[in-house]
Amino acid sequence: MKIKRHDFLRSICALVLILGASPIQAQIDHQLQLGRIASNNRDSITTAVGAISDAKDVAYYALMVALFNGELYLKNNELVIIGDMQEDDYGDTLAPLYTAYPKRHPILNDEGKPLIAPLIDLEEIDSNRRIRALIQPYLTQMEIFHPDSGKRRVAVETLGNRGGLGAVPMLRDALEKETDSGIQSLIRVALGKLELTHPDPEVRLNAAKALGELNNTFVLSFLHARVEPDASGNIAELDPAVQSEIRDTIQWLETFNQIMVVIQTAFVGLSLGSILILVALGLAVIYGQIGIINMAHGEFMMVGAYFTFIVQNICLIVLPVAYIDLFFPLSLPVAFLTAGGMGLLVESLIIRRLYNRPLESLLATWGISLILVQLARTIFGDLTAVKLPQILSGGFEVAPQVLLPYNRLFIIGLTVIILIGLIAFFYKTRFGLRLRAVTQNRGMSACMGIPTRRVDAIAFFMGTGIAGIAGWAMTLIGNVVPNMGQTYIVDAFLVVVVGGVGKILGTIVAGLGIGISNKVIEPFAEAVYAKVLILGLIILFLQLRPTGIFPAKGRDE
Amino acid sequence: MTYYRPIIVFLLFGIVAPVLNEMGLLSDTTLNLWGRYFCFAIAALGIDLIWGYTGILSLCQAFFFCLGGYAIGMHMLLKTGTKGVYGSALPDFMVWNRVEQLPLFWEPFHTFTFAFILSLMIPAVIALIFGFLAFRSRLQGVYFAIITQALALGVWLIFLRNETMLGGTNGLTDFKTLLGFELADPASKRGLYIIAFVTLFVSYFLCQFMVKSKLGRVLIAVRDSEHRLRFIGYRVASYKVFIFVIASILGALGGLLYVPQTGIITPGRMDVQASIEMVVWVAVGGRGTLIGPIIGAVLVNLLYSFLTGAFPGTWLYFLGFLFIGVVLFFPDGLIGLRYRIKISSLKRFLPRRTPAPVAAESQD
Amino acid sequence: MIFDPVLLTVENLRVSFDGFVALDIDEFVLHDRELRVVIGPNGAGKTTFLDVLCGKTRPDRGSARFEKFDLTQMSEDAIVTAGVGRKFQTPSVFTSLTVYENLMLSLKTDRTVLFSLVSRLSDKNRDRINAVAEQTGLVDHLHTVADALSHGQKQWLEIAMVILQDPVLFLIDEPAAGMTDEETVKTGELLERLTMNHAIIVIEHDMEFVRQIARTVTVLHEGKVLVEGPMEQVQNDPRVIECYLGSAQH
Repeated sequence: MKIKRHDFLRSICALVLILGASPIQAQIDHQLQLGRIASNNRDSITTAVGAISDAKDVAYYALMVALFNGELYLKNNELVIIGDMQEDDYGDTLAPLYTAYPKRHPILNDEGKPLIAPLIDLEEIDSNRRIRALIQPYLTQMEIFHPDSGKRRVAVETLGNRGGLGAVPMLRDALEKETDSGIQSLIRVALGKLELTHPDPEVRLNAAKALGELNNTFVLSFLHARVEPDASGNIAELDPAVQSEIRDTIQWLETFNQIMVVIQTAFVGLSLGSILILVALGLAVIYGQIGIINMAHGEFMMVGAYFTFIVQNICLIVLPVAYIDLFFPLSLPVAFLTAGGMGLLVESLIIRRLYNRPLESLLATWGISLILVQLARTIFGDLTAVKLPQILSGGFEVAPQVLLPYNRLFIIGLTVIILIGLIAFFYKTRFGLRLRAVTQNRGMSACMGIPTRRVDAIAFFMGTGIAGIAGWAMTLIGNVVPNMGQTYIVDAFLVVVVGGVGKILGTIVAGLGIGISNKVIEPFAEAVYAKVLILGLIILFLQLRPTGIFPAKGRDE
Repeated sequence: MTYYRPIIVFLLFGIVAPVLNEMGLLSDTTLNLWGRYFCFAIAALGIDLIWGYTGILSLCQAFFFCLGGYAIGMHMLLKTGTKGVYGSALPDFMVWNRVEQLPLFWEPFHTFTFAFILSLMIPAVIALIFGFLAFRSRLQGVYFAIITQALALGVWLIFLRNETMLGGTNGLTDFKTLLGFELADPASKRGLYIIAFVTLFVSYFLCQFMVKSKLGRVLIAVRDSEHRLRFIGYRVASYKVFIFVIASILGALGGLLYVPQTGIITPGRMDVQASIEMVVWVAVGGRGTLIGPIIGAVLVNLLYSFLTGAFPGTWLYFLGFLFIGVVLFFPDGLIGLRYRIKISSLKRFLPRRTPAPVAAESQD
Repeated sequence: MIFDPVLLTVENLRVSFDGFVALDIDEFVLHDRELRVVIGPNGAGKTTFLDVLCGKTRPDRGSARFEKFDLTQMSEDAIVTAGVGRKFQTPSVFTSLTVYENLMLSLKTDRTVLFSLVSRLSDKNRDRINAVAEQTGLVDHLHTVADALSHGQKQWLEIAMVILQDPVLFLIDEPAAGMTDEETVKTGELLERLTMNHAIIVIEHDMEFVRQIARTVTVLHEGKVLVEGPMEQVQNDPRVIECYLGSAQH
């Protein structure tokens, strides 16, 4: 309770500061309203609150807050606000007093110290639920000056929707003081909306123009309502010039909206595609090298995710709070090495004996996945989560309300980096050369002294290690659960199938293709049906290119 | 193969067991449990034909199993009629979902004959179309396995939805009668058990006829080198489609007999894991033989019943190790193991070349 | 020389892998009952040529007219049914079937699914299998699993399988590879016998063997027909000598 009050105090101080510069022009009779409130008659208070709300006079903010909180009192027929209450030695409740209007100032006694009066000398101004309900919108609207940007946003929107022309001067004032460009734009939108109801056609015309330049598609329905006949057949906007301007604005905003939809779809598609690529890459490396589809791939991801979780928990203990987010970069190598190391173990114990038996490897790796999932369930229980590092929360705003979250952008970037790294590894290093040699001709490579078994093992290590990194990245967008590997895995298998054997480029194209087409279909069909539809498309696609987008071509195919 | 063995098996499971049950010496639960195992065994036979003999790993057998099961389930649910919880002519879950009228695709399932035919025909047609497309484009090995797995996942997701009118997550349940017989009656249960066993028995011999014919040789040739087979003039794709359809029908047959015995069918029976588990039954028993999948299906499910009762929580570990162990150490399953022991004991007396074991799938 | 009617006409045939032109034949004509040996250094496109004829590889362009068919447009099994049989370089037989079963599958019969399900082997066909097994020296191994055969025996088995298909045109890739000298001679004799009723294209490296069987030789080099003519003429052609020597330097 106390904290809340301080919050209020601080905000009021801020308000006062802001208001000190330019008082809002009064449109009502202050004495009358103050008198009504001081009368302590509910009906009168209700009337006064209504009038103040309509006038949007910010000078009443302190008073209204106090009334809302039950801190408004009468002292000698004068309205005062009480501060934090205290008890004296006799058990009486005392409180410091503040002025209620037009600003909240401490009231001083003759000695120049804050006046503290016993509560018993004061008369509380009664407010009931109805009055509070009346005050609430006023308070919200007045919050356009609140230090918290979130509150300002809400206030601006409320004013834009319900403020009426009376709110215009206040909004202009707020616009002048606003520093956040996003909120500035919101204020302009609110102003535009309000001014569309202005009696002067000139003002309306300019407002319509301004709205067209603000690219905020949320005003569309409002604009439509202005120029289209309502239920009773009346059209709000009668001036032909303004009408046509509004129609132009509508047209542009709809185009803009479509562009944004395309951008957003492309982005979520790209995001899903990059996730699929990230998951499929490790699979593709292993499949290209040993011809085995590692059914436990998703579980190696899970291993990476759980080790990220473990590192986080260690960091929570070891690191000072300010550096907590370091757990995330720290856990990257851990996730890679643990998942890769586990992969190496599995390779040497099981996979090694199953080379050239791809279908049986499928079954064996499925067995591994069952064991790993159950193991995770036994150790960690069913649900854990990794905290999103501060730097990756939030997003990049391309247009009002069109946000590209940083964590998704991060995964796209990560995928690109890993891709570049892998390509460099395959084509620029000696070991990569060996890998490619073994992929192309195992027998010949063995004859030339390449330790094919070791190359296989390292490929498996890399593949599962990349799965670990994928799991690490997945903690940014989801919970860490034992069966988290299952979410994308079947899609990732399909990416490998569609991409073709052992071609990184194929994995990229297939991953993006499946990711984006999934998101393109989703608006028309639900995610489940989109998935099934994609499967159908893949089957049809394989009719044309049975060995994937980039088949290995040659006479010994 | 000795001729009296099938007769003994038939007497034991087809006559003695039901009679013991009738006399009260064998519990209803046990008999019912075995009846279900036989259904699994029928589906496993299908997997064996396509995987064990033809070398194609199909990971959607449980889907076909459930198609058969859902079809008969829909029929029985319609027959429940107004005896359901809500007393409506519609199935309970529809009432619950505020459906006013029976969806059109439910209509044919009013009649048993149609339901029966559809329960086998729908999977067959789906297998035909899917198989035709997949095999025409020469999807092989791992690719085919993954595509079938994706199919299994996709349809599982569809069956989970409420708006597909198949009961969503809860599936179909609360069946009362089948062909006028009260399902709760022990005599009906015994009858279902006998039908399941006899169907398995007959399926076994039909499969045997198939694998002993020239077709069976062609299937094995597909497994060895489908590429070569093409160059001696066979349309490999039609053989694959054929056996895929047969496998789907066997799967559906299993499901069809299973659901009246359990009284419930949910999408859980057809998730990705269910199909791959069926493959393991076959692997455990011994693929490429017909008795192997039957033994495997019964044995693994017996173990499941035992372990989930005695050591709950260990089943998935056990299953995981079973997958790995069978593949690593007994690629020919229990039957192969028996065969190996037999050969090695005979070797001392008969120093001759041993027939090659079932070869691993070809690489080309 | 009296020629039988033309059986196979290849025109304008071109095959490329990832931009690399593996085969580029302007014209190639084969007559009925002709035995043609195709030689050439490694990578000359010999196997690719046979691959195109049997439908394994699709060319970029060109045609291969065989009787009334264009082989480049047909599926593998249709080509076999039309009368073209192929023996591969590395023996590929059905390893888990017995020799007898391998041969039975190769018989020129109805190869549809339903027929396979109900058909029983006729006495005539059984005799034929036995006869071919006799011819190829496999008669004692009829019930051996093919995987247990020696390399040479597998070669014979594959030849036997092609013979049982009763093709009009044989495509034979390196029949002598992996055979003993004695077996090589026997192979040559078998080819001689077959050519009385069939047309044959043989790819071979073993010059000794080529000399034994060859009448007309086609030399492929870098995908193109370098020389075509009787053995003696080809042997002394400077271009042929150069391309062999040239390739030997690698």
